[in-house]
Amino acid sequence: MAGSGTSAGAEFLAGCRDEAPLLLGVAPFGMIYGIAALSAGVPAWLAQLASAVVFAGAAQLVIVQMLAAGAGFLPIALTSGLLNLRHVLYSASMAEYVRHLPRRWRLLLAYVLTDEAYAVAVLRYQRREAATPPHGESGASRNTASTQPVDNAAHADLRHWYFLGAGFTLWAGWQLSTAAGLLFGATIPAAWELDFAVPLTFIALLTLLLRERAGQAAALVAALGALAFAALPYKLGLVAAILLGLAAGAWTVHRLERAR
Amino acid sequence: MSTPALILLLVLVGALTYLYRYAMIGLFASRNLPAWLHALCRHIAPASFAALTASALFVAGGEVHFAVDSARPWAALVAVLVAWRTRNVLATIGAGMAALHLFKLVF
Repeated sequence: MAGSGTSAGAEFLAGCRDEAPLLLGVAPFGMIYGIAALSAGVPAWLAQLASAVVFAGAAQLVIVQMLAAGAGFLPIALTSGLLNLRHVLYSASMAEYVRHLPRRWRLLLAYVLTDEAYAVAVLRYQRREAATPPHGESGASRNTASTQPVDNAAHADLRHWYFLGAGFTLWAGWQLSTAAGLLFGATIPAAWELDFAVPLTFIALLTLLLRERAGQAAALVAALGALAFAALPYKLGLVAAILLGLAAGAWTVHRLERAR
Repeated sequence: MSTPALILLLVLVGALTYLYRYAMIGLFASRNLPAWLHALCRHIAPASFAALTASALFVAGGEVHFAVDSARPWAALVAVLVAWRTRNVLATIGAGMAALHLFKLVF
């Protein structure tokens, strides 16, 4: 996987290389987003700009889905703002690794702290820690490190370059796949109903997320809430439904803990 | 929504998202995440996706419709089954789109 970190450039490229396979999974979302944005009436330049400014796939899909359904400013802002809150978790998880870096580095890394970049970068940080005891590994790729123990120990920690490489790769892939969706989307007949790919994406992600009882309760109550509050203007019912779902999730956690 | 309003919305969501990402490595780098926030975050994605899916399938113009002669809910049901069996995102989207166009031939 990653190189032995002999230079900043090598770390950066290793990050790019390890992130690259994830682009296969990301590119379809970028294309679906681009296509759905066009069919929701978002100008192409603005849809592309959103991929750089928001740079969060799930939230961007939610925004175009809600725009297509005629939702108002506030419900969209609240829903996507709430959905992106999970990035605080990634930020907290990364804090111990990047805390020592200069502010400009942390400002830069915060921009590329997406789900997929986090997943790759956090593995790099954990791997290096596991390999820290000398002679712990016998792999050929570690030969340089074990023959130069002094150099390795004195070496500045360059793993943030790896993080940047992973983040940059994902960023470039997201911009390009958005552009592809926008180009492609302009030529697709509306009869293909490719906008339906957005709720299908939600169904697929939901199925992956529903592993525990509390999450299932949150999802069920939120879905029922979305129907119960359907008549609220500007799709505010969605916000109410999500909040009710969160309450149901919290209540289930509480009840399960008491039952134990 | 007008284009200026949409620009404002996207900048707002983008700024908020950036603040989330910078929060614990910059703004509050010396603090730990509160436990309640950690717990809350776990359920946000399932609740959001479920609400949006239900709304996309059964709500139109502020009213709830359970149309049994409409292709989309049935296609979504196929997608749920495929998602549940394969746990594969692309297979789910592909099967759902294929089912949509098959059901459209029927209805």
